[in-house]
Amino acid sequence: MPKPLEGVRILDLTQVYAGPTCTRILSDLGAEVIRMEAPSRLDVTRNLIHTDNDGQELPWERALYFTIRNAGKKEIVVDLNQERGRELLRGLIAQSDVFAESFTPRVMRAFELDYEHAKQIKPDIVMISLSGYGQDGPYSDWSAYGMGLEPASGVAQLTGYPGGPPLRTGMSFTDPYSGFLGAGAVLAALRYRARTGKGQYIDLSEQEAAVPLAGAALMDFAMNGRLPERAGNRSPWAAPQGCYRCKGDDDWLVISIGNDGEWASFCNATGHAEWIEDDRFADVLARHQHHDELDRLIEGWASDQDHYEAFHLLQRAGVKAAPVLDGKELLLDPHFRGRGQFDTVDHPHVGKRPIPRHLAAKFSSFEASAGGPAPLLGEHNREVLGGLLGLSDEELAALEEQGVIANAPNLPVPPAIVSAALKLPYDRFLEAGILRAIDPDYREQLGLE
Amino acid sequence: MTEGALSDLRIVELAQGIAGPYCGKLFADLGAEVIKVEPPEGDRSRRLGPYPDDLPHHERSGHYLHLNTGKKSVTLDVGVTSGQVVLKKLLAEADVLVESDGPATMAGRGLAFDDLRADFPKLVYVSLTAFGCSGPYKDYRGNSMTAMAMSSIMYNTGDPDREPLSTGGTPADYIAGIHAWIGALAALAYREREGAGQHVDVSLAEAAACADEYNAAMYAFQGAIRRRYYSRHIFGYPMDIMPCKDGHIVLVPGAAGFPQRGLTTEGAVSPMSLLLGDPDLDQNPVFQSGQQRMINWRQFDELVLPWLMEHEAKEIVETAQALRMPFALVPSVKDLVEDEHLTARDFFRRIAHPETGELTYSGPPFRMSETPPQIGRAPLLGEHNEEALGTLGYTKDEQAILRERGIT
Repeated sequence: MPKPLEGVRILDLTQVYAGPTCTRILSDLGAEVIRMEAPSRLDVTRNLIHTDNDGQELPWERALYFTIRNAGKKEIVVDLNQERGRELLRGLIAQSDVFAESFTPRVMRAFELDYEHAKQIKPDIVMISLSGYGQDGPYSDWSAYGMGLEPASGVAQLTGYPGGPPLRTGMSFTDPYSGFLGAGAVLAALRYRARTGKGQYIDLSEQEAAVPLAGAALMDFAMNGRLPERAGNRSPWAAPQGCYRCKGDDDWLVISIGNDGEWASFCNATGHAEWIEDDRFADVLARHQHHDELDRLIEGWASDQDHYEAFHLLQRAGVKAAPVLDGKELLLDPHFRGRGQFDTVDHPHVGKRPIPRHLAAKFSSFEASAGGPAPLLGEHNREVLGGLLGLSDEELAALEEQGVIANAPNLPVPPAIVSAALKLPYDRFLEAGILRAIDPDYREQLGLE
Repeated sequence: MTEGALSDLRIVELAQGIAGPYCGKLFADLGAEVIKVEPPEGDRSRRLGPYPDDLPHHERSGHYLHLNTGKKSVTLDVGVTSGQVVLKKLLAEADVLVESDGPATMAGRGLAFDDLRADFPKLVYVSLTAFGCSGPYKDYRGNSMTAMAMSSIMYNTGDPDREPLSTGGTPADYIAGIHAWIGALAALAYREREGAGQHVDVSLAEAAACADEYNAAMYAFQGAIRRRYYSRHIFGYPMDIMPCKDGHIVLVPGAAGFPQRGLTTEGAVSPMSLLLGDPDLDQNPVFQSGQQRMINWRQFDELVLPWLMEHEAKEIVETAQALRMPFALVPSVKDLVEDEHLTARDFFRRIAHPETGELTYSGPPFRMSETPPQIGRAPLLGEHNEEALGTLGYTKDEQAILRERGIT
């Protein structure tokens, strides 16, 4: 089956997380994505957590974070600090449909590769910039990490235990969130281009992208001048709703009960029909009022339950519930596996691994699966620069000689020393509770051996 | 009004609540004609509030107003044959159907993908459900919190000795809405090439799991299972929300914020020590080693908290940014609305509505130079019945009959 973006070429200067998520989705939809890194400035995720916590002699090829996010893409390594490097990039812009980047705005302007320049090279180019705070305004040159942008968008003010401080989600929330939106924005711009012949520029500020998540709170402020209180896992739309400790050392179950019917089903399924008759919980309002008591009763029930079995028990009774899965359980869950949430790819330096989809849509006419493993550093220099720009082997060799292109990074120290420095002290992380467990036989458990 | 990127499309949104309507909103803000088919009593979100002065009114619900900007509202009881007939006439003129009732309910109405594909071969049919249309959990029910639980993100959010926390608001609804929008656009691109529509199956649980940063990957590549530890990354400490004199800030020194062994010039002072005004801190083990900071984070906090509590958020973040550290603010919705940067970018929009007057709405999630997204106002319940049914050829008398029988 053909994929919808076959024949679309994307030149991808994005790094780290939001931008690579955007282009990973477009790659899974069939686009040819050509990533570009610089020999002295690798994507920083090539230096974050390595396969089996050991970068060995090739740390930049063994980073799991890079590997999942860039599956199926091609890659060239070009030094944009040299005029010849920028000339190569201009040549590629001329032959691309989409140009994506995620630097702070001053970088592309300094390289004269911002949209004003790009459209002179390719008038109908669709260009997308994914940045922390957008291309203009007083904070536009602020540097930004994903972990700072969820709070900057206002979402962290809504997250937290009741009475406690605002909390971040345990991940760089706005990064994937912005990457998803960016992929859709590019698809919309390509549709407009197909209809009118016109390209355009997409300015995606990660801060702004996530503000609509706080839409209801914004409305309450606009209407009533009121600020939201952090409510933990509770909701005005369901009671009881919460996260309850189950049997096992750190297993949890979430439950959400919206109406009288669900409440009765819950009480019957848990073997506590007497709760239905209890005046304290007789109707929706009573259940909201006595939520603390309900929590204690439910905890008492849940503490003897296996979180997965309790999930099935309640769902079969028509009650909204879910186990709180850790990374291992997510990978092994039969529903996620059965529906193809993970594609197995074979990478020359990390072997066969299941990697997560970045687009949740399942299509009846084609499969939006990873197009292959992540590229090695500079793996497609010859194919892309030779094929698209017509450079001869001699020219490519000369460029390599001059350091304009490369297939190894400029490191200040030998790779083994880099790998040793980047090893995380997992024994101590286990002791401190930062990790739950490490399974030495995980490859077997995943069916990879 | 300028042409939108998606002005050539007509979407039928048979979806209530948050996820499906957010998908529809993304289409509407980009210029598509979105016909929101509501049950005669109105979309569920008309009852979710918040309301001005807390007085419930189905035209004044903040959730509904926010999620349905720029759409048309048509009321229709699709649970009965007469309503299904009208819906099919709408679908004959539509490019995309977004439904959130799931395959079982839709099949009961004769409106499942397989029921419609022969009559509407070009229709892109998007199903947005808690767990998806296939697989062992396909009949299970859920919401944003169950999806966050399934995604592994919740397990890693919160304090180590307390229960896992779902991110505030209903994030999985929004994420799933975005994935449904991308899926529909991809299916439309496919239709341009191959001529045929198709079914697009999006679940809240998988959409949230697509946002898992590295929990599954850590197991797949290392056998390691990450656990919530104050919502921290394992890449280093700190990258966290910390208190300050007048609220909170995000303290993210970044890779170059601390002394870097072998890379820092002799005699240079690290940006963190400059910020705190004490060059000697560079000699402290928790400044010298990221791994030390991860383990002995309380020692680090003791060094910085007194200084933070003496300084205000704006000053801390601006000073840190001048030192090229990616610190960030932690605004409330009030701070956002009053923020000088968002104001300079004209992010928020003032939108007038007949029932609430003018209010400040969130702007669009991205900008487009040729086809700037537009935020219109949300429709009144059934505001476009006459226009839509008239276009389909129903006479005034026929419309009256449908209305009187409770079909529209």
